Amino acid sequence: MDIHLIEKILAFIGALVVGFFAVKSLIAEWPKINLEDHVTKVMMVLLTIGCIIVLLVAVNVWGRV
Amino acid sequence: MATHALHVDDALYEEVRGHRLLGFLLFLISDSILFMSFIFGYLYNRAAAPVWPPPGLERPDVFLAAVNSIVLFGSGVTMHFAMESMRHENRKRFVGFVLATIVLGLMFLGGQVIEYTTLIRHDVTWNGTTFGASFFTLTGMHGFHVFIGVIFLITVLIQTLKGVYTTQRHFGLTAATLYWHFVDVIWVALFSLFYVY
Repeated sequence: MDIHLIEKILAFIGALVVGFFAVKSLIAEWPKINLEDHVTKVMMVLLTIGCIIVLLVAVNVWGRV
Repeated sequence: MATHALHVDDALYEEVRGHRLLGFLLFLISDSILFMSFIFGYLYNRAAAPVWPPPGLERPDVFLAAVNSIVLFGSGVTMHFAMESMRHENRKRFVGFVLATIVLGLMFLGGQVIEYTTLIRHDVTWNGTTFGASFFTLTGMHGFHVFIGVIFLITVLIQTLKGVYTTQRHFGLTAATLYWHFVDVIWVALFSLFYVY
C-alpha cells in the first residue's frame, strides 16, 4: 500500500476523532466564566479549526505534496 | 479564629493566583509575538521570491505533517481531559491523561525528526536557502517549545504524585494546560503556512 495513502487514512480518522472530542470539550467548557476558561475556549476553537484543515488535507482539498 | 485565618488564606491565594494567571497569559502573548515576527519574516521572504520554494527543492511531505499535526492536536485534547480529571478529583485518570499527553508530545517530536532527516537528505538545509532557513527556524522553535512543554508536564506530574496540587489549588496544572494549548494552536498556524498555503 502506498505510504501517502496510509498517512491520509490516519490523518482523516485522527482528525475526525480529535475534532469530535475538541468540539465536545468546547461545548462542555462554554458555560464556564473564569479567565482561563475563556482562553481554553479560544484554544479549543482553534484546535477544531486545525482538525478541519487536516481533514481537508487528507481528502486532497487543500495542501500540496 | 482558625476559620477566619483560612478565609484570609483563601482570599490571598485567589488574589495571588489571579496575578500569576495574568503574568502567565502575558508570557504567552509575548511568545506568540515572537512567533508572529518570524512568521511575518517568512511571508516577506516568500512574497519577495519569484518562485517558492526555490527550484530544485522538495516541499515537505504534507501527509506526514498532517498525521503529526493530529498527534499534537490529540495531545491538546488529552491535556484538557487531564485538567478536567483533576477538577473532578480523579487522580488516576489525571495521571493517565498526562502520560498520554507526554507520549503524544514525544511522538510529535519523533515525527519532526523523521521529517527533518528526509528534508536534509533532499538538500533542504538550514543554511542552504531562505526557504530552508525559515522552515527549520520556525518549526525548530516550535519543536523546542514542545520539548519544554514535555519537561513542564513531567514536572507537573511528579509534583501531583507528591501531592503538591489539590482539587482547589493547582495553578501549575492550569499553566501547563494553557502552555500546551498554546503550543497546539501555534502549530495550526505553522501547518497552514508551510504545508497548506
